[in-house]
Amino acid sequence: MSLDADILIIGSGAGGATTATVLAEAGLDVLIVEEGAWVEQGSVVPFSLDQMDQQYRSGGVTVALGMPSIAYTEGRCAGGGTEVNSGLYWRPPGELLERWRHDFRIADFDPDDLLSIADEVETAINVRTVPGPHSAPSEVLRSGAAALGWQHSEVPRWMTYPHGDDATKGERQSMTRTYLPRAMKAGARLVTGRRIDRLVIDGGRATEAIASLPDGSTERITFRHVFVCGGAIQSPALLQRSGVKGHIGRTLAVHPTVKLAARFADELNVPDDVPVHQVKEFAPHLSFGGSASNPGLVALSLLDQWPTFRRAVTDWPRMSVYYAAITSQGRGRVMSVPRMKDPIVTYRLTHADRELLRSGLARLALLMLEAGAEEVFPSFRGAPSVKNRRDVATMQHAFSATKATVMTVHLCSTVPMGEVAERCGADSFGRVHGYRNIHVNDASLLPTAPGVNPQASVMAFAIRNARHFVATGGSRA
Amino acid sequence: MPETWSVPNTTVVTGANGWLGRALVHRLLAEPGRRQLRLLAHSTADAHSLREFVGPRNGVDILIGDVSRADTAQRLLYGVSKDTDVLHTAGVIHPTKVRQFAEVNTNGTRHITEAALDAGVRRLVHVSSNSPFGTNPHASDTFRADEPFNPYLGYGKSKMFAEVAVNEAVAAGLDATIVRPPWFYGPFQPPRQTTFFRMVRAGKFPVIGKGDQRRSMVYVDNLVDGILAAELTPAARGNGYWIADARAYTVNEIVETVGRALVDEGLSVKPPTTHLPTLAARVAETGDRVLQAVGVYQQQLHVLGEMGHTIACDISRSTAEIGYEPKVELYEGMRRSIRWCLDQGLEL
Amino acid sequence: MRQVPALPIVGSFAERLLVDDLPDLQPAQRREVVAFIAHRVDSLPSFTRFGVLAIGTVFRMLVAVPGGWLGAKLLMKLPLPFVGEYPRLMRSLGFAYVWEHWPTTTPTGALA
Repeated sequence: MSLDADILIIGSGAGGATTATVLAEAGLDVLIVEEGAWVEQGSVVPFSLDQMDQQYRSGGVTVALGMPSIAYTEGRCAGGGTEVNSGLYWRPPGELLERWRHDFRIADFDPDDLLSIADEVETAINVRTVPGPHSAPSEVLRSGAAALGWQHSEVPRWMTYPHGDDATKGERQSMTRTYLPRAMKAGARLVTGRRIDRLVIDGGRATEAIASLPDGSTERITFRHVFVCGGAIQSPALLQRSGVKGHIGRTLAVHPTVKLAARFADELNVPDDVPVHQVKEFAPHLSFGGSASNPGLVALSLLDQWPTFRRAVTDWPRMSVYYAAITSQGRGRVMSVPRMKDPIVTYRLTHADRELLRSGLARLALLMLEAGAEEVFPSFRGAPSVKNRRDVATMQHAFSATKATVMTVHLCSTVPMGEVAERCGADSFGRVHGYRNIHVNDASLLPTAPGVNPQASVMAFAIRNARHFVATGGSRA
Repeated sequence: MPETWSVPNTTVVTGANGWLGRALVHRLLAEPGRRQLRLLAHSTADAHSLREFVGPRNGVDILIGDVSRADTAQRLLYGVSKDTDVLHTAGVIHPTKVRQFAEVNTNGTRHITEAALDAGVRRLVHVSSNSPFGTNPHASDTFRADEPFNPYLGYGKSKMFAEVAVNEAVAAGLDATIVRPPWFYGPFQPPRQTTFFRMVRAGKFPVIGKGDQRRSMVYVDNLVDGILAAELTPAARGNGYWIADARAYTVNEIVETVGRALVDEGLSVKPPTTHLPTLAARVAETGDRVLQAVGVYQQQLHVLGEMGHTIACDISRSTAEIGYEPKVELYEGMRRSIRWCLDQGLEL
Repeated sequence: MRQVPALPIVGSFAERLLVDDLPDLQPAQRREVVAFIAHRVDSLPSFTRFGVLAIGTVFRMLVAVPGGWLGAKLLMKLPLPFVGEYPRLMRSLGFAYVWEHWPTTTPTGALA
């Protein structure tokens, strides 16, 4: 079996789907290869184990090794992470774009240009606030932050609300609803269930991709240009497996998060949706928000201190889970090992990161008390339950990041974009340094973790780079 | 501007012979309408020296007593009218034994709040600290008006429990407010502060790492402004306020500014040469922690350990709610305190 | 590379953990949860899976000998890198499954 296309796009998430749309609408012959399946929205319950089986890599159980290890998740389905995440949309901050341009010497990188692309994206995926009242777990963040005088806001989402103004009954305008159909309408082909094992490279050019199918057979795909859009773990891993040299996979950046569960007097749990408020008073170093909180996830948040916290588990209808996320100084690595199918991922938190996690969890606990929480259950081994301000002090004293459940859903910066040789894996438009027709166009390119939900940045970067490719005719191939 | 009360008939000051206490008394003596002052001094010697400081003036009572004893607070507030404010500045920051923290800072405050509640005074102002909140987690982090407790060692813990005692008294009906100064400086300072000037002059002030840690500071007269603003603002009840300069300074900036102030006061200054690695501060902090755990307090170790951290606070709520505006900034404040030291005949 | 199935390696240990954490869980439920845990371990990324099965083998051998459970509990408490994460993974998967499927389960694992 073999396939051929002018342009091969590996991955169909926020990077791949937007790249495909720009290139197909420009008349190029585009083939998108997706490892996961096409799963219709509404056929699985959001944030459930079933969804994890169907739409996440390795059932959602993936980890960056370290002290502590950091659990992360990756979407593995048509549409990638956009299908499974909370759909919260944050434009990259203007000053951050400026810093990226300066520090990584990104050529022709006009922050205004990116923000005008962001305008288009917001229309295309219907970024909006909720039509009616906010859900109770979201209201907790709002009222707690308001009581403390902390800056907070509702983060808009890529959602439509076809069933009235219930904030929890939105339909995610993910890639399978927006950019992928658009790309296909413009002639792009999408094949699913194929994993690209490696690219065959000859003299600085990739000539074909070797894909494997679930039945064990392989397929060769030839192309003129390839865009690797597998996300910040899979993209560098594929490049490494293919023997690509350069700054690939060495600077994984994430937003490490710690969690707590808070119990209130009244029922508030929303099992299948997340709060839309975020607290940005301490941004960019610290952000607070709400997590998915179905009963299974509430039980998980109590697990670290099960002997003393177990009593709360049946109260899950009155509980919700919240997180404190940090902008980390630490970095991680993605390393492919010969004969191993998946890469080894590591991450090292710095001393300052650990201090921020402690402070973040404490400030979040204070916010919960101000929002009226009866009791707060922080997710780390040896945690006390928190009922008042004195308990917050006890909690800070007992905290250490090594004892905590640290996780992340934002992975980026493994192939940073720019012209600083020792720090950048790809050039100012995402083409891998030293290779004529290999491009990366996903979260791997973001020079650092943006301190906000990164998908808006990913889409804006991808569209910018794809347009540049069209404008220059991919001439450098 | 927020609504304010007029000055009370009686103003009670604890720790009146202390550094802050003297600066406060100095101001109160100059304020029209402060008819009765009732000052608490720790010892007979303190009382004598305070009497000398106050000079010949009617309406100033000086009592001798230790706030860590319950009867002292009862005597201090015995028979005062409802038109009385209590300014509670007594505290110990560099003790000889760790247990003094709890005895003076925590128990002392509890005794004062209990006596104030019994006496039915108009307002109690409790002088707290940044220490109940520890240090900032990041060099660019700033403490907001309301922060979770994270006490820094023995002193921090004792001041946290003091705040808890005040809050409990408020819940029981006391009208009290808390002011939180970070590192303060200025006239009436104790000898250890002249060491600070001497170290800067000799280029020996220990700068940790890159010296980019930020420190909120406050000139003692600004602090007095803040205490009196908190005293006289009815709406401050039950709240806590940072009293500091408008912004935090980096350690480098502090050393540079103090150096400049010394030069402008006619003193020679050597360029700073004492740069210590971050590790030194962390080792000192660990040493301090270990010693305090066994009841020993070692001042140099404590100060060095804390130097590696940022302690920065945001005063915007203090400005909005009690009308506190810092009038003297760092350079001017340092010049004034250098001049004060020289006027006292102290050698810098 | 052909995979070694996880169930024989992680099954008995996962079951022992569940008995400890959730003593009132019905045996049939417990079998279902253990099967789910093993299924998830089977789909772990290759390197993690290798590590999990290596540590899992040690724990499996421990729980197979008399008094070994105490040894396993001690091992879990030690601050060893990655070793403590293995029981954590087992318990996380188990708890998530139990309360997602039987949300009224009591703190001891009984069906309410």
